[in-house]
Amino acid sequence: MGEDKTLEYLLERELRVVNSYVASKRKSLAELLREEHPHVLTLSGDVHMFRKSELILAKEVIGEDAEKLMLPIYVELIPAQTTTTGVIREEIATKLVSTILGINHATPLYVYPIQLAELRRKIGTLIQYVVSPETLKEIGDFEEI
Amino acid sequence: MSQQILRLARPTKIELIRLRRRLATARRLHRVLRDRLLILTQELVALYREVVESRLRIHEEIIRCEKELVRTSSYVAPWIFEEFSNVRIKSFSVVLGSRIVAGVRLPLLEHEVVEGHYDPSAYPITLKEVSECYEGVLRNIIRLAETEISLLEVGREVQKVKRKVNALENLIIPRLRATIKYLRMKFEEREREDKVRRKRIKQILTRKARI
Repeated sequence: MGEDKTLEYLLERELRVVNSYVASKRKSLAELLREEHPHVLTLSGDVHMFRKSELILAKEVIGEDAEKLMLPIYVELIPAQTTTTGVIREEIATKLVSTILGINHATPLYVYPIQLAELRRKIGTLIQYVVSPETLKEIGDFEEI
Repeated sequence: MSQQILRLARPTKIELIRLRRRLATARRLHRVLRDRLLILTQELVALYREVVESRLRIHEEIIRCEKELVRTSSYVAPWIFEEFSNVRIKSFSVVLGSRIVAGVRLPLLEHEVVEGHYDPSAYPITLKEVSECYEGVLRNIIRLAETEISLLEVGREVQKVKRKVNALENLIIPRLRATIKYLRMKFEEREREDKVRRKRIKQILTRKARI
């Protein structure tokens, strides 16, 4: 019984750690470009800063939609898949990501590890990984042994 | 060691249900940790490459800048150097922020340069080139500092997460599986015994009925 509680606690803590940097209030790209030090506050109270060069790159790619693009872009990890896959669900964000990666535009956009590495290199501060507890439910409760 | 089973007070169905629930939680936790480890490992490899490349680039740039400096100083008086360095840049500041990757807080350094007001025609053009060259070196050193600290932080986190993943992968999950398997076999065995017992009782009762 003790181990049960420990595992539950660890899972909860892990989810909290992974999702602790979710922004308490997201900002639009245009808004961030106007700021001297573009940043958002996270749920844990930390400051997440954006690199200006990356914001400018995003502005160049999406142009007029800068007011609509909310940052940071959330890449939702799907643990239920065999290989770690991220999914981006917002229309404008998928437009930006697909242009940067040079792939076909689709919503939702599935991003694979190799593409995640490229995204990290090009717009590392604009993206954040989140793990949704909902997707965890997809992992079967009872497996056949 | 991994095939060991957990010590159970009583091999009951309730215990089996509890164990299966525990296994599901362990598997979920394993997936979350594994994903986090993957992201962190990617980050670690990328940072490592960046550090190596940055160091090489800085080394090359310093050599280039030194050469330029020596060449320029051969025909520019030292007081002009000093004057130019005073007017070229008004302010140079570094903003220290943070970015968070997969739960790890990493530093983010952004440098800001405010150009000074001066007449470029009053100074030799090579002087500006030297100045820009050193500015580039400084920019890369700031970036290197950020990357190296990030590398250390991510490395530390990878170590921690890896230990947890290994414990789950090689110890907790296999043990739970082995225990569940053991319990299932135990129940099957009990069922078979019951069946044989019932048959035997039936035989005895039939024999008694004949007599």
